[in-house]
This record gives sequence, C-alpha cells and structure tokens, in this order.
Amino acid sequence: MIEVFLEWRFLTIAPCDAAEPWQLGSQDAATPIMQGIIDLHHDIFFFLILIFVFVSRMLVRALWHFHEQKNPIPQRIVHGTTIEIIRTIFPSIIPMFIAIPSFALLYSMDEVVVDPAITIKAIGHQWYRSYEYSDYNSSDEQSLTFDSYTIPEDDPELGQSRLLEVDNRVVVPAKTHLRMIVTPADVPHSWAVPSSGVKCDAVPGRSNQTSILVQREGVYYGQCSEIRGTNHAFTIVVEAVPLKDYGSRVSNQFILQTN
Amino acid sequence: MAEAAQEKNPSLAEQWSLQDKEDKSAQSEVPVEKTTGDEKPADATAEEVVSEKTGETPVVDDANPVAEENSKTPEQEETESQEAAEETPAIKLETAPADFRFPTTNQTRHCFTRYIEYHKCTAVKGEGAPECEKFAKYYRSLCPSEWIERWNEQRENGTFPGPL
Ligand SMILES: [Cu+2]
Repeated sequence: MIEVFLEWRFLTIAPCDAAEPWQLGSQDAATPIMQGIIDLHHDIFFFLILIFVFVSRMLVRALWHFHEQKNPIPQRIVHGTTIEIIRTIFPSIIPMFIAIPSFALLYSMDEVVVDPAITIKAIGHQWYRSYEYSDYNSSDEQSLTFDSYTIPEDDPELGQSRLLEVDNRVVVPAKTHLRMIVTPADVPHSWAVPSSGVKCDAVPGRSNQTSILVQREGVYYGQCSEIRGTNHAFTIVVEAVPLKDYGSRVSNQFILQTN
Repeated sequence: MAEAAQEKNPSLAEQWSLQDKEDKSAQSEVPVEKTTGDEKPADATAEEVVSEKTGETPVVDDANPVAEENSKTPEQEETESQEAAEETPAIKLETAPADFRFPTTNQTRHCFTRYIEYHKCTAVKGEGAPECEKFAKYYRSLCPSEWIERWNEQRENGTFPGPL
C-alpha cells in the first residue's frame, strides 16, 4: 500500500507536465526560467529550515526549562551587547542571501535577452482562446488564426484529462526562443503554463509579452489564472514539437486556411 | 540573429544545451535532415521499417509519453510531415526583433509604434514600397489582428488617434 503510494507520488518516470491530484510540488521544468524558479525555491527552503529549527529549539527549550517548582526564577538578563549584535546582524544577512538570487531570477524573467524567432499571440476570449501566428503574413487579413476550446466535461476521450484538454493545441517549436503576446478581447485573463514558468496577465487594451524557451518536446498543460465571467475558458495546452516538424505543421495549417 | 545572441551570452546557451540550434537556427527551413542526434537519428525510413515489423507505434526514445496521446502515431506524423515538407513552401522563422525602446513586458506601444512607422513609411516612399515591408511584418507580428482591423477602419474614417 505504502509502496503503491510512493510510486504514484514520487517515482513517476515521465516528466510531470500537467497538474496531478494532491500535487504539492512544482511541475517539472520545461524552460530555464522554471528551472530557476524551482532552484530558488529550494535555496530559500534551505534558509527556511535553518530558521525553523533554530527558532523551534529556542521555543521548546524555554518552555521545557521554565518550571514553576523546579526553576521558579528564570535568569534575569536585561542587557547583553554581544547577543544583541548577533541577533541584529544575522537576521539582516539572511534576507540578503535570499534577495540576491531572487532578484537575479526576477529580472532574468522579464528580460528579453535575444531576438525571438517566433511571435505567437494568445488572445483570450471569455469562452475560448484564440492564437495568431502572424509572422508569415503578407497582408492584414491573411493570418494563421485558430480557436482553442476546452473539451467539455462530458466528452473527453480516453486518456484526456478532465477540463485540461483543448481541441486545438498551441504548437510551438522546442529549443527556440518564442515571444508570447498576451492580450484579451473581452474579460481579463492570465495566460499561465506552470511547466514553462510563465504567468502573464492579459489586460484589455494592453498587450503583454513574455518569452519562452521550451527545452524539451512535450505537451504542457496550463490554466488561465484570472477566471472572470461564467463558463470562463481556462484551459491552455502547449505542444512543443521539434523545430523541423514545426515548419510543416504550421505551413500545412496555413495552406489549409488560405485555400 | 540567434548566432549573435549566442555569442552574447554563451553561458546560458551552454548550460541549456542549445548547440544544435546553431546549425539550423533562424533560417532553418522545413526539412532539416541532420537532426539533434537523440531524436530519430536514423531518418524516417528506418523508423518505418521498425514500425512495420512491430505493427504498432515505434519505440520513442525520448521521455515525452504525453505527446504520444496525440491522435496521430509518430509514424504517420513523420511520413506526413515529410510529404508536407516537399510540397509546402518553407516557412522562414523570423519575427519582430526585441526593440530596446520597449524593454518592458507591456508591448502595447511597441505594436502601435510599428504600425505608425509602417504608415509613415508608405506615406513617404509610396504604397507597397519594399523598404516598408519589414515594418508591416513587425506590426503584424506584434499587434492582435483585432487592433489592426480597428486601426485600419479608423484610418479610413480619418479618426485614427496616432500621428500619421
Ligand atoms: Cu481566461
């Protein structure tokens, strides 16, 4: 029983790119940014545990030793220069150790270091999401656009996750710098894919960008993080394909549309 | 484009093993025969032989079983994409570059500026001037098509708010 649980919980071989029941940790990283987030989390946890152990020790010790009969008068220290210096300096150094990697990560997240190779526009609508691939247009009208609807709760196919799958996935090439332009057409949205470490708010009248570099091919499940309005469509599915397949996938779809 | 970027910060690139991107980077056309190495190195033919023998989906070396849930088997997809690669025109992977004027997450003005730049350009150089085409490509990449439609309409009506 315990083994089954452990296996289910920790020993999954496949990378975890979708939410799991009772999941506590992050999904597996698919981008350098997500790897950075996970690493930062672990770094901070190191300090967290250190502080937790130290504080609990002091607390338990104080409770243990203060005894009405055995030790009725606790020590009467009212002043101690050394301990006061230590307990001022140390707590101010620790946040610094947390802040440095934290800021480094924060700024690397919204810095666009290189020219992206592809721009994909994710347009949020209340009941669906549409994606535009407009890098290959030669006029304003002609654009590779498709709508992505959540598969309704009552007809997912076998193997599809409930309310996580869509009819048209966003196809992106792996190992390529992508620019996502995120904007809604009606209500606010937030385009989020946990494996990619991306969460980008979509604000009406404004377009936000976020950059992604997917490291491995796979299907990544995300959810809109700004659920506004009834039946708000929240499902986001990104499918990363090898670069050589991406070209044909897109041009096929493009040909189909323009003909 | 990408090469230059890689020279700029090799540490990131090395760390995240994008070496295979160098040879097939920005200009990569659809059928790149020399692949990453771990991904189906033996071309489609070898894979097809395998799949014909076993009569089921070929062994997938990579650890992305989720991708397999796709309606198509890799074999079908492979052949399909090979065919497609032969008949469809190659797609050039290029888009609006990162602009130092708009380094923020908010790209609204980036799109708007590119749109204005294009129309200023055509006003000077004439409609359909080849120099202006790049601006057109940029704004089409950056602007949601709904916005472009609206702005085009506004320009026709003479109510466009920007400087033209
Ligand atoms: Cu939404």
